[in-house]
Amino acid sequence: MIKYIIRRLLLVVPTLWGVFTVLFILAFLMPGDPLRAVLGEQYHRLDPEVIEEAREALGLNDPFHVRYIRFLGDMLTFDLGVSQIHNETVADIIGYRFPRTIQLMAGGMLVSLLIGIPAGIVSAEKQYTWIDHALMIFSLIGVSMPVFWQALLAQLVLTQDPFPIFPVAGYEEGAIRFMILPSLVLGTRLAATLARVTRSSMLEVKHEPYIVTAHAKGLRYRAVLLRHQLRNALIPVITVIGLDIGYLLGGSLVTETVFNWPGLGRAIVPAIQRRDTPVILGILVFGSFLFIIINLITDLIYAIVNPRIRYT
Amino acid sequence: MATTMPLELEDRLPVANRVRFWIAFRRNKIALVGAAIVIVMGVAAIFASVIAPYDPVEPHYTDRLVPPSAQYWLGTDELGRDIFSRLLYGARISLVIGFVAQSVAITIGVVLGAISGWYGGWVDDLVMRLTEVFLAIPGLMFLIVWVTIFEPSPISLFLALGLISWPSDARMMRSQVLSIKEMDYITAAKAIGVRTPRILFQHVLPNAIAPMIVLGTLGIAGVILLESTLSFLGLGVQIPNPSWGTMVDVGRNYLPTGKWWYATFPGLIIMITVLGFNFLGDGLRDALDPTQYN
Repeated sequence: MIKYIIRRLLLVVPTLWGVFTVLFILAFLMPGDPLRAVLGEQYHRLDPEVIEEAREALGLNDPFHVRYIRFLGDMLTFDLGVSQIHNETVADIIGYRFPRTIQLMAGGMLVSLLIGIPAGIVSAEKQYTWIDHALMIFSLIGVSMPVFWQALLAQLVLTQDPFPIFPVAGYEEGAIRFMILPSLVLGTRLAATLARVTRSSMLEVKHEPYIVTAHAKGLRYRAVLLRHQLRNALIPVITVIGLDIGYLLGGSLVTETVFNWPGLGRAIVPAIQRRDTPVILGILVFGSFLFIIINLITDLIYAIVNPRIRYT
Repeated sequence: MATTMPLELEDRLPVANRVRFWIAFRRNKIALVGAAIVIVMGVAAIFASVIAPYDPVEPHYTDRLVPPSAQYWLGTDELGRDIFSRLLYGARISLVIGFVAQSVAITIGVVLGAISGWYGGWVDDLVMRLTEVFLAIPGLMFLIVWVTIFEPSPISLFLALGLISWPSDARMMRSQVLSIKEMDYITAAKAIGVRTPRILFQHVLPNAIAPMIVLGTLGIAGVILLESTLSFLGLGVQIPNPSWGTMVDVGRNYLPTGKWWYATFPGLIIMITVLGFNFLGDGLRDALDPTQYN
């Protein structure tokens, strides 16, 4: 167990290094001149020598490997740099925006758990009945619907007459009614995935000897279903949730765009339009880092709850 | 069916398996619906120029934003172009990007997965770390950065979408190879001195291919969704080429004024197409997987 945990922890290092390298290469290839972006009109009025000096001072003339090593050093000290457009550190931008994205992701996750897991249980219990078929077709539709289109439909139907239930878009500190629609939209796809995983996992566990034993010793059906079958069936579901964090991050980008939500996703789109490389790189690094850490945690939980993994 | 298959391949696939597959596949109504959707979309894309009643790019300023009618089945857009015709041409973009990008992903995945599973050791470690790296980077954000570097030309989209999608394919291929590697027929092939490349191509690959077909089909669905999302964000294949995602993006500006058809139909078509590939992939999985019959 200890050996597994140590090995799993060490594996984070090469993965992070790989992610940093790929992202650095991408940022290095980004077209556009940061100085030109910062200075705008002034760029042409300044003495070329001054500009050259500034380049030298900022390290923009350094060769690839020097900048790469400096970047890795920055990453090791958690230094994400400063935005080239706004007078703000990337860490500050992320610090302001990320809690709002997390809020949205948590909303989406809640929706998906509340819909996906019960749907999966019902589907497995009623295997091959019309309820099962209907739920599974619904889940495939949920997986197939483009997030942006679903968001537009939701706005079209639920924000104006005859059903003016929710605000069209926007964000208000702590206001739940602004959160409901984006959360529903963001959670749909994950709910559909979870329903399918829960169903197949429940079916797999159903015929395990310990379930038969539990029934045989006369436990109530519900008790066996929820306490024995579901608890074991949820193990693979945890992994899927971990892997879908990446999807939630990407999906929140679209949801935030449509619902005008001031999260990370909405920060990256203007940053790209203005070639604000540190912000782009910072958000990508942060997103990947988050994904790696969450999957590390789910793997460790997996190892703790599943003895079969522990000893391999 | 039997006559279209090369004799060589037919000998290699046990007849019972093939028959069982067809029976299972035909009994699966959802899979058949999926196949029908995919075929219809394919025909629409190939014969777009024959089916389309109007030119997809030429503006008709006298017929701007006309609601669906007998003349324009799905209405017209802000330049008076027929939305139905534009959707037909849009099918070309979506399907071609879906197929080609997914082929790129499957090729990378099969090659790296096979090498990883077959050789094991540090090669395996290296490939697995690579899959983790590409799984960790948020795909949509990677795509957005990619298109600002390399322009959203079809070729750059093929590559980018392929690069995002290959890790799950590689992992599946690896696990396939790991189990096939231990089979008696592989040991036998090794024992009589068959060389490694031949073993890989003639014995491992044909036996590992079924789940890869399933993943590939489902992957096309994923790629089409990603491409349409990119277009929706205004970063996909450029106007005037009618891309479905772009149409939803432009159309949503007209939603508040009650022009509902503009954004609704392209989105619906994306959903139906993606659903078709998901139905098909799901049905193929059920039909190809003998453990499902319990």
